[in-house]
Amino acid sequence: MASSHGDAARARRRIPVLLSDARIQFFGGKGGVGKTTLAAAHAVAFADSGARTLLISTDPAHSTSDVLATPLGADPQQVEGPLWAMEIDPAHEADRYVADVKARIQDTTPPRLWQEVERQIDVARVSPGAQEAALFERVARLLETEAAAYDRVIFDTAPTGQTLQLLSLPEMMQAWMAGLIGRRKKLNAIAKIWKGRRGPAGEARGQADDPVLAALEARHERFVRARAVLTDRAQTVFNFVVLPEQLPILETERAVATLDRYQVPVGTVFVNRVLPERAEGAFLAQRREREHGYLERITKTFSTHPVVHVPLQGQDVVGLPALRTLLTTIDPPSS
Amino acid sequence: MHVPAWRTLLGRLRSAWSLYDGIFLVPYRAELHREYLQRRDLFLLLGCSDLLGVPNPVAFYTLELYPELIEEFHEWHLRMGMPHAPDGGFRCC
Repeated sequence: MASSHGDAARARRRIPVLLSDARIQFFGGKGGVGKTTLAAAHAVAFADSGARTLLISTDPAHSTSDVLATPLGADPQQVEGPLWAMEIDPAHEADRYVADVKARIQDTTPPRLWQEVERQIDVARVSPGAQEAALFERVARLLETEAAAYDRVIFDTAPTGQTLQLLSLPEMMQAWMAGLIGRRKKLNAIAKIWKGRRGPAGEARGQADDPVLAALEARHERFVRARAVLTDRAQTVFNFVVLPEQLPILETERAVATLDRYQVPVGTVFVNRVLPERAEGAFLAQRREREHGYLERITKTFSTHPVVHVPLQGQDVVGLPALRTLLTTIDPPSS
Repeated sequence: MHVPAWRTLLGRLRSAWSLYDGIFLVPYRAELHREYLQRRDLFLLLGCSDLLGVPNPVAFYTLELYPELIEEFHEWHLRMGMPHAPDGGFRCC
């Protein structure tokens, strides 16, 4: 491990200046602004510098395999050299979790109830928030297990709304879980007094072996750990991708405010598809005029964050060579 | 079988304590039981309100509590004088 860290340190000097040093990087923004492309380009750049890199897509649209021109699965797979990638499918994760609970219930519940229990579980499966919950579960588990073996972990997230819900989940869930745990403990304390009156059989069931409390506490701890990672400035950063247009700017503005509220560190704002200087013609000159106004507004709005302009490319950015070229066309940060 | 003297003594002390504790608790026995059941019901409601047909915003996370809480739910509706589970929610019988 020491030698690989040494390699990474040596290689870091070759990484373009705009790449943040954080180990875990998220890329977010409105739909269709180029999150996937920029996330993939960064992953490739980190991998080229020698860092063992894992690119994770949480977007159900799954464009990552298209951008990398490699089919990807639900588990990390090698793309090229130290670059690994995977796609998390929220629906698939929800199914997996549900199957898990169903299996456990068969062990503890009388068979006459199975059918009814399964019906109830299937209702929860399609309830609002279920997919986000399953996705969060997977991301949290990933950060604790597989991701630990990588020098860099790059997340290509789904469009803003889902991502924000994902990142705010631990905060809300933590409070809710803590409340339930408190109630359960009080209940157990009373149960101990009450059952203690009814002989040693009742007394034996203490607080430690209450399976409900154990399940709640395990989940609560997972939330606390996930939140600790997400809000740790030393290792996590959330980058945004915008276009020099009205709606992406507004949406990103709100998203940055939300992340600030949940103390998730916001990093660079990438302005994608900026018209390059060499693009000529009266029509493009007119476009550039309008664009200039938006670029100024972006710089002003996100004044506390580095803003990086990514020029509009002449060709589709698909495949590793095109992704490598993309970052070389970027000027250094403007702030 | 030989039982060590300290163990006999310990056993006697324990039953003496239990007797004292029992006498002390007698007047509050019913109260204690009621309190226990009420807290249990409240936890059931908060943890698995969807069993009663009340939408639970975090239903997905409480799924894993089902194996244990379904038994409590069954006890609850029997205790409430309902031989069958109420309509709209979980139909355990």
